[in-house]
Amino acid sequence: MPTPPGFEAAVHEEFERKRALANREEDYYAEKTDAFGLKSLDRFVRYHPDPSALMHKGVSFAHNDLEGVANAMAKGNPWAVISGLNPSGPLHLGHKAVFDELLWMQANGADIYIPITNDESYVVGKSGSLADSRRIAYEQVIPSIIAFGFDAAKTHIYVDSDYPDIYNAAMDVSAKLTLNKAFGVFGFDKKEEGENPGTMFYRAAVQIAQILLPQYAEFGGPKPTLVPVGIDQHPYILLARDVAERKGFIPPAEMTLKFMWGLDGKGKMSASRPNSAVFLTDSADAARKKIKGAYTGGSVLRAHQEIHGGVPQICPVYSLRSYHFEKDTSLKDECETGRILCGPCKTRAIEDVVQYLEEHQRRRDIARGRIDEYLLRTPLRSILE
Amino acid sequence: MMDLETLLHEKTLVREAPTRSDILSGVGKSGPLSVFYGETFDEFGHPIDSLKYYFGVAYITKALLAEGIDANGTILIADTAAQRNAENGSDMLRRGRERFGLVEEVNGVYGTGLEVMRMSDFVGTEAFVQRRQEIIAMCESDDSLMDLVRLSVPESRRAEEEKKGFLYSFDEITTIMDVHVKVGPPREDVYDRIARSIAKFKGLPPLTSVYFTPTFPLGMDWSYFFAHEGIEDHGITAYKAGSKRLQRNRILIGRSSRSHVDALIDQSFMPSDPSLPNPVLDVGVIAQMAKGCIDGSWSMDGLGRKYRTGELRGDALRSYVKDSVAQNIMERFDDAYATRV
Repeated sequence: MPTPPGFEAAVHEEFERKRALANREEDYYAEKTDAFGLKSLDRFVRYHPDPSALMHKGVSFAHNDLEGVANAMAKGNPWAVISGLNPSGPLHLGHKAVFDELLWMQANGADIYIPITNDESYVVGKSGSLADSRRIAYEQVIPSIIAFGFDAAKTHIYVDSDYPDIYNAAMDVSAKLTLNKAFGVFGFDKKEEGENPGTMFYRAAVQIAQILLPQYAEFGGPKPTLVPVGIDQHPYILLARDVAERKGFIPPAEMTLKFMWGLDGKGKMSASRPNSAVFLTDSADAARKKIKGAYTGGSVLRAHQEIHGGVPQICPVYSLRSYHFEKDTSLKDECETGRILCGPCKTRAIEDVVQYLEEHQRRRDIARGRIDEYLLRTPLRSILE
Repeated sequence: MMDLETLLHEKTLVREAPTRSDILSGVGKSGPLSVFYGETFDEFGHPIDSLKYYFGVAYITKALLAEGIDANGTILIADTAAQRNAENGSDMLRRGRERFGLVEEVNGVYGTGLEVMRMSDFVGTEAFVQRRQEIIAMCESDDSLMDLVRLSVPESRRAEEEKKGFLYSFDEITTIMDVHVKVGPPREDVYDRIARSIAKFKGLPPLTSVYFTPTFPLGMDWSYFFAHEGIEDHGITAYKAGSKRLQRNRILIGRSSRSHVDALIDQSFMPSDPSLPNPVLDVGVIAQMAKGCIDGSWSMDGLGRKYRTGELRGDALRSYVKDSVAQNIMERFDDAYATRV
C-alpha cells in the first residue's frame, strides 16, 4: 500500500526528534556531572579488576569521593552501601538495576543497608497510611529484595517505622544541620500541599540518619560508605557529607546511575505510571502486553529503520534489554545500524522478561519465609548511653 | 645488539623519543655525540629505577658506537642541587658521593663504560659560572625564555626561587647546553625547551630528549592507582627512593632483601589492560637491560614482546621478574640479598 504524501518526511522528522532527545539526555548527564563536580566512573572501570556490567555499559557513570571505598574494597576492609526504598508499591525492573549494582558491591565486600522508607511514603502522600506502606514493605518489597540473592549475613533491611532507633539517630544528626541549609537543598514550601513537618523531618533528618547509620558504633564505627543515587539527588548527599564531617564520620561517597526509560516513553520507569513499568509482580501476560505496546526508539517504517537505524538511547525496550539481559554492548550497535528492528527486539525482550519474572516470583515466594534473617534489629544505644 | 631505531621504539622503555635522524643531526658538529642523564637523590637509598637510566644511556651509546658514530655516555650526580633542597646539606654531599660510587660500581659490574660526574666538581668553576651568566643574560632579555624559566619551578617554590635568581634552573640549563641526547623520566620539557632555544640561537647542535616510561611504586593495589590521577603520565620520581614517602615500596640496591622484594612484586597491581601502569613489568625491563649488559647482547631479550603478545603475563610475569631482578641486579651488588631478613 502506498504511503500517504508527506508520511516519509514525518517519519524522518520523528526520527530526528528522537535523536535530538537522545543528545539532550547525554548532555543532561554530562552537564550535571560537570556542574556538581562529580568525576566520571571511567577511571574506576579501567582500574577495578572486575567492574559490574552496568559500569561497563555506562549506566553507573559518575562518582564523588569513591577513593576511600575503592581502598576498602581492595584491602578487604569494612565498607557499607546504603540504598533506601520507598514502598509505595511493588518493585519494578528499574529497581532491579540498582539491586544488581548492590549485589556487585556486596560481592566486593560491602555490607548493604536497605532502609524501607514507609514513613516517607506516608508523609509525602504516596500511601494512605503508615500501616498500608508497612504492609507493602513486608508483603512485596522485602521478599523481592531477598529474591535478588543477597547474602543475609551482609544485608541489613529495616522498615523505618519498625526500627524506631532511626528516629533517635535522626534527632542526633538534626542538631548538626541548620534549617537554612535544609531549606536551601529541599526548598520546603510552607504553603505547598504535601509539605508538612513529617516531610521536613524525613528529608532533613531521617534520610541523613539512614545514610550515616552504618557508621555508628553499633555497626563498627566510621567506615567508607557509598550511596548509589540518581544524579538529581546529589544535593542530598552533599548535606549528608556535611553532617558526617560534623559528627566525625567519613563523608559518604556517591555513585550515580542513569534512570531506566519507562515503557510509555514519558520519563523514567515509575510505579506512579503503572504502564511505564514492568513490576516484579506482573504476570507473564501483563508483562507481554506492556512490552508489546511500549514506546521505542525505532521507526514506524521498516525501510526507514533499516537505513537509518533506531535511537537506543531513548528506547525503553533497549534500556530494559541492555540493563538486565545483554552481556555486552552489541545490541546498541545492532539497533543504531538497523540490523535489528523493534518487533524482533520486543519479542526477545518479552522472552527474557517473562523468564526472569517466573524465576523471580518463585524465589520471592520462598523468600517470604526468610524475612527475619535479613531484618536489622540492632538497638542504637551509643547515642543514648 | 639492539639498534638505535629498535631501542627508540621499545614501548616498555621509551615513552617519547626523537627520530633516529633527529639524534644523528648532531653528528660531527661538535665532537662526540654526548648522551646524558642527570639525577639528584635523597637519604633513603639507591632505587633500582635509577639503573633504567644508567642502562638506557649505555644502550643508546653502544647503539651509536655500533653504527660507527663517536659517542659517549655521561651520568651527572647533581649533588649541589640535592644539597640546596635538603635540610642537612653536608649529609647530602656525602650521599652524592655514595650515588657516584654506585654508578662506578655499575660500570664495573655491567661494563657500561659511563662517565660519571658530580655537579659540585664544576658548578663553581669560572668557565661554568661565565657560561651560566651568558645564559642568564640571554633569558633575561627574552620574555618568552624567562617565562619558561619561571615555569620550570613548581608554583609553590617560585617566589623563593625568584629571590635566588632561579639559580637552580640556570644551573640545570647550563649543564645540558653541550648535550646532544638527554635521557630522563617523563616530565615537563621545560629545561630542554630553554636549552634548545638557546642552542638554536648560538648555532649549537640541538638537544634531543628521550623520555623513558614512568616509575611506579611496587606493592600497591589497584585502588592506589585509581585514586592517583595522572600517575599514568608521571609516576613517582625514579631516582629518589623516598618519592611520595614510598620508600617501603621501592627496591633499594644494597638494602632490600629478597623476601621483601618478592613480596612487593607479588602484591603489586598488574593490570589486564596493557595501557595501564605495570610496576612489575617496569622492574622486569630494568632487569632485562641488566641481563643484556651481562651477556653482552645489549638487547632486552624481547620481554616487551612477550608481554604484549600475552606470552608472559600474570603470575608467570611475576615469577620471571622476581628471579631476573635477583640474578641480574640485586645479587650482583649484595651478597646477603637472598638471606637478609
